[in-house]
Amino acid sequence: MLKFWLTFSSLTTAIIILAVLGFLLQASWPLMQSQGLSFVTGTEWYPYEQLYGMLPVLVGSFWSIVLALLLAVPTGLAAAILCAELLPERGRAALRFSMELMAGIPSVVYGLLGLWLLLPLLESQFDLLTGRSLLAAGLLLALMILPTIMVFSESALRAVVTEQRETALLLGLDWPTRLLRLLLPQAWPGIRVAILLALGRAMGETVAVMLVVGSMDRLPQPLYNLLQPAQTLTSRVGREMAEAVVGSVHWAALISSGLALALVAMLLSLLTQRWRS
Amino acid sequence: MMLQPEKIEPVLPQRQPDSTALQIQGLNLWLGHTPVLEGVDLVLAQTGVTTLIGPSGAGKSSLLRCINGLYQNWQGQIELLGRDIRHWPGGWDQLRSHVGLIAQKPCVFPQSIRANVVFGVQGWRQRRRADALVEAVLRQAALWDEVSARLLAPAETLSLGQQQRLCIARALAIKPGLLLLDEPTASLDPRSKQLIEQSVKSLAASMPVLCVTHDLEQARRLGGQVVFMCDGKVIEQADCESFFQRPKRLESREFLSWNVCEC
Amino acid sequence: MNRSQISKIIIVGLALPALLLPGVCLAYILFKGLPALSWSFLFSATEGLGFGATSGVLAQLLGSLLLALLASLVATPFALGTALYYRLLASKRQQALLAGLLNMLQSIPPVVFGLFGLIVFVHLLQWGVSLLSGAIILAMVILPMLVLNSIASLERIPGQYTEAAQSLGLHHGAVIGRVWLVQAWPGILTGQLLGVARALSETAPILFTATVFSGVVWPESIFSPVTTLQTHIFYLAQEGSNPQVIQVAWGSAVVLLGLVAAFALLARYLANRYENPQHLGAER
Repeated sequence: MLKFWLTFSSLTTAIIILAVLGFLLQASWPLMQSQGLSFVTGTEWYPYEQLYGMLPVLVGSFWSIVLALLLAVPTGLAAAILCAELLPERGRAALRFSMELMAGIPSVVYGLLGLWLLLPLLESQFDLLTGRSLLAAGLLLALMILPTIMVFSESALRAVVTEQRETALLLGLDWPTRLLRLLLPQAWPGIRVAILLALGRAMGETVAVMLVVGSMDRLPQPLYNLLQPAQTLTSRVGREMAEAVVGSVHWAALISSGLALALVAMLLSLLTQRWRS
Repeated sequence: MMLQPEKIEPVLPQRQPDSTALQIQGLNLWLGHTPVLEGVDLVLAQTGVTTLIGPSGAGKSSLLRCINGLYQNWQGQIELLGRDIRHWPGGWDQLRSHVGLIAQKPCVFPQSIRANVVFGVQGWRQRRRADALVEAVLRQAALWDEVSARLLAPAETLSLGQQQRLCIARALAIKPGLLLLDEPTASLDPRSKQLIEQSVKSLAASMPVLCVTHDLEQARRLGGQVVFMCDGKVIEQADCESFFQRPKRLESREFLSWNVCEC
Repeated sequence: MNRSQISKIIIVGLALPALLLPGVCLAYILFKGLPALSWSFLFSATEGLGFGATSGVLAQLLGSLLLALLASLVATPFALGTALYYRLLASKRQQALLAGLLNMLQSIPPVVFGLFGLIVFVHLLQWGVSLLSGAIILAMVILPMLVLNSIASLERIPGQYTEAAQSLGLHHGAVIGRVWLVQAWPGILTGQLLGVARALSETAPILFTATVFSGVVWPESIFSPVTTLQTHIFYLAQEGSNPQVIQVAWGSAVVLLGLVAAFALLARYLANRYENPQHLGAER
């Protein structure tokens, strides 16, 4: 009886993963049937006219994630270095606590902040009609993944052993040299795991992005224009899922976005685990 | 063709020919509420080995840590080459690049042997072109013959004794003006011990070496000066031979007799 | 100015956003939200007048709590079972596999579970948009976290306790019940509380599977939809035309933040109070 409970519950993890993949694949089948694989490079998304081009959201997701990482990695890493190497014990505890607090704010509250604090700022700063843009999404995502990067990098830095720190000190190397030649190379395996985790989080974030990205289904003009309203994989799912007719191609197209997210996330997780061991 | 080993000349600010290498006067150190060093006076000549002996807790290692600025809250005067180390040009980091310290336990970085040797060298271009330097310091540390064929192998694959010699080579690569050794051969195999002692002796021909040791036989083998410390004070500083033959102070005699008894 | 000082200043400069933004965010939320709070805001559920502008958030508060607690209730037996299997029955290879699968499950974005729930629970099983669908979806979201927490707290039990119990001839069940759970309950409970906090902060997976905007105060059955603080904030935030509505959104954000913080701080307190071996008597 006991054994049955333990064995069965340990199987749930595998069952859930298989079930999610299986049902999502089955539900997105109508899209593959009607469009083949051409939908990946299509640039038009008009469900009413049976056009299901995915390229705009892929570009949108790409830009928002890259922007978030470009902003959050240097900041988070610098905060981790500050916390692990420069601050006294009390400052370190305070900084860590504030990061935990930041990680604990629900994403919908970040969305609210983005909508009513960030967007007006962007509008006045860049003189825009609407601040809803990939830039806003990137900034908000950067804020949300900052604690992940900082906390994991900090523990990686602190894991560098004292003997090695002291040896580098004794060789007469000054602080920046020790940082660049000893601490960062030694902590790099942990830091890259932090970046991957943050990447996964940024990729899957839905509600906050949905509120600030503008939900415009077209490619940015030109491709690097971050100040226009745009759409990401997750924000489209969030916007249109409730309207799609069950079993339609539209429905299948949305489900397939989710499937793609799940697959990429699981790939990232495999990579993370390989890097960890 | 054999590479001609580069001669290692310590680069020091304003070397004055007649000055002593290291002069310590009235050094006091407190760690928390415990006095560790009390009124230590010590003079090191331009060349030669000085061994520092004494019972555990005599403050020998702390003295080394004062000299290279790992402890900075001491009172008194430490002069390296006639220059107060508190006011060293460029600060403590610069001072440490003129003082090599070998710790009791070898600590190698998880990199190649070559990268370990040049770890303390400033500038990546200098590190890349340091082949001659690498060979010279590895020869001085009596390690060249064992590792010359596998300089790019990870340093962790070396034995403990080889790692310690690698640490010596690494310290020599920054061209220090003073070499400090903190029980460098404790817990090493006899062969490595012998090699290290030989290389220390030959190094002492061109630079001052201060070596803490527990092993009186080693102190005798190294020769040079002997400084006997007890309870944070320097009890006696004398020639190796005269110290072991005719110790002047009562404490020294007691210490020597205990250690002889232990043998 | 030497190199060390300059580089330290650069590091501090780069880290400045990380130093300031947590405080700025929290202060802004409180500044906007605290004025909206009142007794009637928290404890009334007057319905629908002026698109939520005049109503309290009691219904949303209850809905959020109900969903999160139910999710935790659904996930706990599975989480505990998995953790015990990991410690008790699994071989080294099975442990590695299980850890890999758990990490994988944890990496899947919550919105994907929302889609899965929409297909399976809402449409295939015909449960509709309901409390039950949402609770099971959230249970899936927090499951890996609960398992990993439980495993960690089971691993902190000193090995000799287990050996002593086994050498007394106790079988698996007794070892679990009389040694492990007695020792590990604070850690496991900490994990549960953190799980509830996590479930409280998820919005995307329940947006189209468990919640409606209004019309519910207390769900009649597990097959009825609920309203929650998270989705309430989400809907109100987009009603830009009415400042009063935004005010309510900020107020709800403060309530939600307080709720999450309450569970997280309770978990922290519990961890500090009991995870210390001295309190357990392990060191004596």
